[in-house]
Amino acid sequence: MDYLLHILILINIYVILAASLNLIAGYTGLLSICQAAFCGVGAYTAALMSLKVGSPFLVNLVLATIISGALGTLVGFPSLRIRDDYFVIATFAFQVIAFSVMNNWVTFTGGPMGLPGIPQPVILGWDVNSHGEYLLLITMLAAVVLWGCHRIVHSPFGRILMSIREDETFAFSAGKNVAACKVLVFMIGAAMASTAGVIYAHYISFVDPTSFTVMESIFIISIVVIGGAGSFWGPVVGAIVLVTLPEILRFVGMPSSVAANVRQILYGGLLVAFMMLRPQGLMGKYAFGKGGATQ
Amino acid sequence: MALSPQYFINSLLAASTWALIGVSFALIFRVGKFFHFAHGMVFTIGAYSTFMFVDRLDMPLLAAIPAGVVSSMIFGVIIESAVYRPLRQRGSRPLVLLLASLGIYIVLQNAISCLFGDDTKSIRFARVAEGIDILGARITPVQIFTVGASVILMLLVAVLLRKTTFGRAIRAIANDQELATISGVATNGVFFWTFAFGSALAGIAGILVALDVDITPGMGMNALLMGIVAAIIGGMGRILGVAFGALLLGMAQHIGVIWLPTQWQNAIAFIILVVFLLFRPEGFFGRRPGKVAV
Repeated sequence: MDYLLHILILINIYVILAASLNLIAGYTGLLSICQAAFCGVGAYTAALMSLKVGSPFLVNLVLATIISGALGTLVGFPSLRIRDDYFVIATFAFQVIAFSVMNNWVTFTGGPMGLPGIPQPVILGWDVNSHGEYLLLITMLAAVVLWGCHRIVHSPFGRILMSIREDETFAFSAGKNVAACKVLVFMIGAAMASTAGVIYAHYISFVDPTSFTVMESIFIISIVVIGGAGSFWGPVVGAIVLVTLPEILRFVGMPSSVAANVRQILYGGLLVAFMMLRPQGLMGKYAFGKGGATQ
Repeated sequence: MALSPQYFINSLLAASTWALIGVSFALIFRVGKFFHFAHGMVFTIGAYSTFMFVDRLDMPLLAAIPAGVVSSMIFGVIIESAVYRPLRQRGSRPLVLLLASLGIYIVLQNAISCLFGDDTKSIRFARVAEGIDILGARITPVQIFTVGASVILMLLVAVLLRKTTFGRAIRAIANDQELATISGVATNGVFFWTFAFGSALAGIAGILVALDVDITPGMGMNALLMGIVAAIIGGMGRILGVAFGALLLGMAQHIGVIWLPTQWQNAIAFIILVVFLLFRPEGFFGRRPGKVAV
């Protein structure tokens, strides 16, 4: 039973991460490989605050969104100067630098040893300690994030985001503040992603850099792309498919030594297959550029 | 710590492999106009196939090295013809190809982990060479060979691009693919040979690294990123620019070690990259990239 709940909790964590990336990559068309870094910022903020300051869960949550949002703004800035592949590399750079800090600043982040012993969250007297309660908490958070995404996408701001994706020059010529919108969506996406990290840190009660690698960021992109970028349910469907599919391997009796590799081969292969056969993903809205007329 | 010649030798050594990866990556980027991340695995495959030929099949090193280069070429060409060409023919945008290449990267890296294990492997010669003394710096024969091979190959690429029909075709496609096709350049053939040639260069770089240090399945990502950083610093379009970028990056990393511990080398490289992307995205010598598509 706990196993099942654990899978559901993981799905919810990835729903938050993928939905926040969907705002950036799916709706605005700014493909970025650093969502795991924002998640890590949230997780480390929560870990350090609760271990060193002893602050309560809600304070950690708010602080994490502020810090991550500020960093997101910073990462959003290159999008004003460069685009497409070059922008991907810039976000990649942020991911590598963030990982470097988590891994190498040993006195502050614990380095590769990580930070153990993060306490369970207490929210206004509610002591979250069982898998079921964690699931309830994370589901509420995921619902809030999805609701937020829905509101943003259906607001005038959301329409500007989509117009940037479709034709940036046109959006600009229509008098929209393209630059501010790009940076703002990055801030929002980063803040949302950090909340997943906060819960993750309290849930696992341990953070270390290996949870927030480049590969993890690519995994989150795969969820968005395979689920369907630019569609509301895409990240949800993608997270369910990509988190549960590898679990089937467990029941086939695959030894755990190769299971991790096979899991990655599976989603890497799916990513290639989807790009070749169905670039708009399962829920199909946006296929990273209009097909047909190129250049 | 004083600034001894050893730092310059070390940066030169690092730069020579990064330059090879950077140049081959830039070559493929100029033709394909997308970031071929799977190139990092082509590099790794060069190292691992050579390891396989030497260690598992008991081939002599001199036969295993060409075999390793050919393996890299084959993989590069398969990736191009099985994945990129169909995507291109459907008119997919660069980001779709980039995502596909990330997928290929993940599949290949994990396949190598499955086949060879995650631990480090080595095809270094049995005895560790003493190293020759040059101005108080130590350099082993393999390292001299690495630098020499890199310089020769870079010159070869420069000549190839300038003096041959193939090079002209590459530059034509880089400029305007549609116009090149109309003018009778066999586009698919040029793509094929560009990937073959670029993959061979990456494979050679992988083998050169493997001859000097240990290899792991994840070695390609770091090497490729350094190659990309070198290519962007130097300007994607210029061979000598990329070589210069690699040298600059090597210096920054190895001389930065005086003030910062070694593990921050990656962070240094990427901070340099971000600075370039923000203030001079076309690199030192290149033209401005990423013009707005109409």
